[in-house]
Amino acid sequence: MSAASPIARELRFLLHQPFALSLIMAAAFLSAFAVWSGLSESKRQDLIIERLLVADTEDRAAAIAKESDYGGAAYYAFHLTYDPPSDLAFAAMGERDVFPWKHRIRMLALEGQIYDSDAANAELAQSGQFDFAFVVSILAPLFLIVLLHDQRASERMSGRHDLLIATAGGDGQPWRARAAVRVGLFSLALLAPFFIGAVIAGVGVISVFLVCAIVLGQVLFWTLVCLWASARSITGPAIASGLLAFWILTTFVIPAVGDAVIENAIPAPEGGDIMLTQREAVNDAWDLPKEATMAPFIARHPEWTDYATIERPFEWKWYYAFQQVGDQTVEEISKQRRDAVADRDRAAGWVALLSPSALTQRGLTRLAETDVRAALEYQEAVRDFHASLRTFFYPLLFKGEDYSQTILDEAPKYDPETADG
Amino acid sequence: MSRTTTIAADEWRYWFRSRLAISVLFVGLVLAVGSALLTASKMSAAAHERAHLQIEAEETFYSQPDRHPHRMVHYGHYVFRTPPPLSIIDPGVDAYTGTSIFLEGHRQNSAMFADRQSSAGLAGFGALTPAFLLQTFAPLLLILMGYNVITREREARALHQLIAQGLAPLQILTGKGLALAGAAMLMLSPLLIAAVAAIIRGETAAAAALFASGYAAYLLIWCALIVLVSAIMRARSASLGALLVIWMVAALLLPPLSSTAALSIVEAPGKIETDFAILEEMKKVGDGHNAADPAFASLRANLLQQYNVDSVEELPMNFRGVVAQAAEAELTDLLNRFAEDRMQVEVSQAHVGRIFGWFSPVLGVREFSMTLAGVDLETHHRFLREAEELRFDFVQSLNKVHAEKLAYADDISRSSDPEAEKRTRMSAENWKVLNEFRFEPAPARKRIEASLAPFAKLLVWLFAALALCATVGRRVL
Repeated sequence: MSAASPIARELRFLLHQPFALSLIMAAAFLSAFAVWSGLSESKRQDLIIERLLVADTEDRAAAIAKESDYGGAAYYAFHLTYDPPSDLAFAAMGERDVFPWKHRIRMLALEGQIYDSDAANAELAQSGQFDFAFVVSILAPLFLIVLLHDQRASERMSGRHDLLIATAGGDGQPWRARAAVRVGLFSLALLAPFFIGAVIAGVGVISVFLVCAIVLGQVLFWTLVCLWASARSITGPAIASGLLAFWILTTFVIPAVGDAVIENAIPAPEGGDIMLTQREAVNDAWDLPKEATMAPFIARHPEWTDYATIERPFEWKWYYAFQQVGDQTVEEISKQRRDAVADRDRAAGWVALLSPSALTQRGLTRLAETDVRAALEYQEAVRDFHASLRTFFYPLLFKGEDYSQTILDEAPKYDPETADG
Repeated sequence: MSRTTTIAADEWRYWFRSRLAISVLFVGLVLAVGSALLTASKMSAAAHERAHLQIEAEETFYSQPDRHPHRMVHYGHYVFRTPPPLSIIDPGVDAYTGTSIFLEGHRQNSAMFADRQSSAGLAGFGALTPAFLLQTFAPLLLILMGYNVITREREARALHQLIAQGLAPLQILTGKGLALAGAAMLMLSPLLIAAVAAIIRGETAAAAALFASGYAAYLLIWCALIVLVSAIMRARSASLGALLVIWMVAALLLPPLSSTAALSIVEAPGKIETDFAILEEMKKVGDGHNAADPAFASLRANLLQQYNVDSVEELPMNFRGVVAQAAEAELTDLLNRFAEDRMQVEVSQAHVGRIFGWFSPVLGVREFSMTLAGVDLETHHRFLREAEELRFDFVQSLNKVHAEKLAYADDISRSSDPEAEKRTRMSAENWKVLNEFRFEPAPARKRIEASLAPFAKLLVWLFAALALCATVGRRVL
């Protein structure tokens, strides 16, 4: 008996199993649909950024054209920052419907701007999104459970179990070939649409390889669990119930409980507190003596000591100084919040070790740069860009340089590529 | 004891004997109780905290020192969306929307700091709330308990005996269904206790009762479907397979599909994109800080004519304040128009998503639950509208103080004349113009009315499932 023949036999056998066959076709269809909708969502986001860039440039030029000093130009010129979807984002949209991926910021206090979120429809975000990651992490195990749980039990029920063992020859295990055929075809059903999507989106070979590794890892894990369970000599439905219980535990209960535990264990400052404190600081500055603003400002920027005397009731350099001091007052609490979110994300990484589905989801969103870490990195990039705006405008404001629009052409421009670092 | 209840009792006896069913029920109960406790403590803490922050924000506003009223317009105010009593069962969109808004002059800020933005992000599939648990997992647990209620009897050749003993097929089906319904009601019990807790927190008994009945109807749909499939299928494994497929489609596939479909059918421009359109229109309104803006020329001419004077200095009121009022009113009209458009688009998207409720009772009950609890998209929109109303009201009241109590001469010379500047500082008494804000759930009557449409979806499902049991199910037995 040649090595290929059990496989060929099982392939033929599968053709007479409408239920298994239609499950595999359904998986292929769902994967294809997920890839398609992911691609169109990626495309939509790219187009939005494209449109915004045009409008942003026009609007800034028009705003600057009306101004006659650097203070006014910095006040009215907004700058678009954005985090374009990665090539792989179509496969795992991750946190992009929860965290903002675009802002328009200007040189005012950043803490008053960076939490603005251009959020998607809340009710739809709650239903989750149907992407490739969802198919692989949540649905794939269920398909495998249905496909594999009663291979032996059903043969036992129909009284063929012992006969099959006796006739299948030396290596003895007909279900091994049967499982291999089912799992192989199922993996192909999941991955084939992804390959097509990856080619369309121009994903690099390494990323494709890593996604495959994750998908196959998830499939292999559940295959082994199913085969282990199906070797018990209990009825098929009892095996399925046990497997489903395991699926509920690892896919829903552990992540949901983990989420609640992490939230309690790692406290994060309320966002509202940051806003409130920052707002108070910025507003109070109007009533305070100018030195109260300039002293903490100079402490941070000693290079402007000689230029920090404010003579008139209103001067732009004082105005921007108190914007920065407003940010300085909440620096710590704002950092604490970001750290807490990062810590929670890291803790989630540990909890995910107990949940293959969460692990798969996290792996895919990491590769696609659509996870919490990517969102925090984008926020950091916006902070860096805002800092570079200050670095650009401070000399012009403090040295009282003559106004020239050509100098403004040198103003920093947000570049998502360098932002990715 | 009637024959139907005897069958139901027999089924329970079987469940107690086979460890599997009873452990499934036990797991269901543990999860239901755990999620109820967790969600109740989380949401009541949130309600408490937000109510507290609201009062704090008001006190801070009232206690601001004497200053120029326009400074208070920019100083601004915060409002918080306190969750309704039934949110201890279904928090709805609470975690997905910002829960506080900063209100200030000339701007409509978005709600910020959605909980999800600081969560560990593990619960993307679903949070541990009684609502999600009952909507998504209770049916699966019922399937595991009951997929074999009829097929088991058939495989054991006991069905014919039962019928031979004179039992009508319908009695068998009803008995089995009754047993399953009992298990369903057990899973529902933590929700019932939580509903009583919600009544104590101020929910009306009518709304809470309807809420519980909606969930009961929902679980009964599944009980009927399980009995039906179990009656149709010849083998246990086929019955389980078919029920699992039904559950996967209804509970796992259709919810995300519905939102994907809604997002691709109704295109929603993002906020930044809308902002560009607003900026374009705003250019026509004029800058309310600049009384010399040509946009206010006709306002000036009209006022001069009305009071029969030659210059704004002679007007009996502060022209700058008048301009601030006029500009704010016009700008608010504009912003509201865009805000209404945006909400309209979101509601249309949600409506597309909700159509799927006809195909999946999971989506039907989700819509019903969020609507009745007052944690749906429309409630968030009402919060945005009420916040905007409050914003416009206090900004205009401050502008009124600016126009009527503050002399124009002082106002224009305040940057150069310290004495004049002192006179432009209005007494803190004036900050009392800010109204208190308490975000209350919509009246129970309204929520009940709004939830009747999704309730109808559930009833249609229930009647369809029962009718199929009574016709197809009875015949195949």
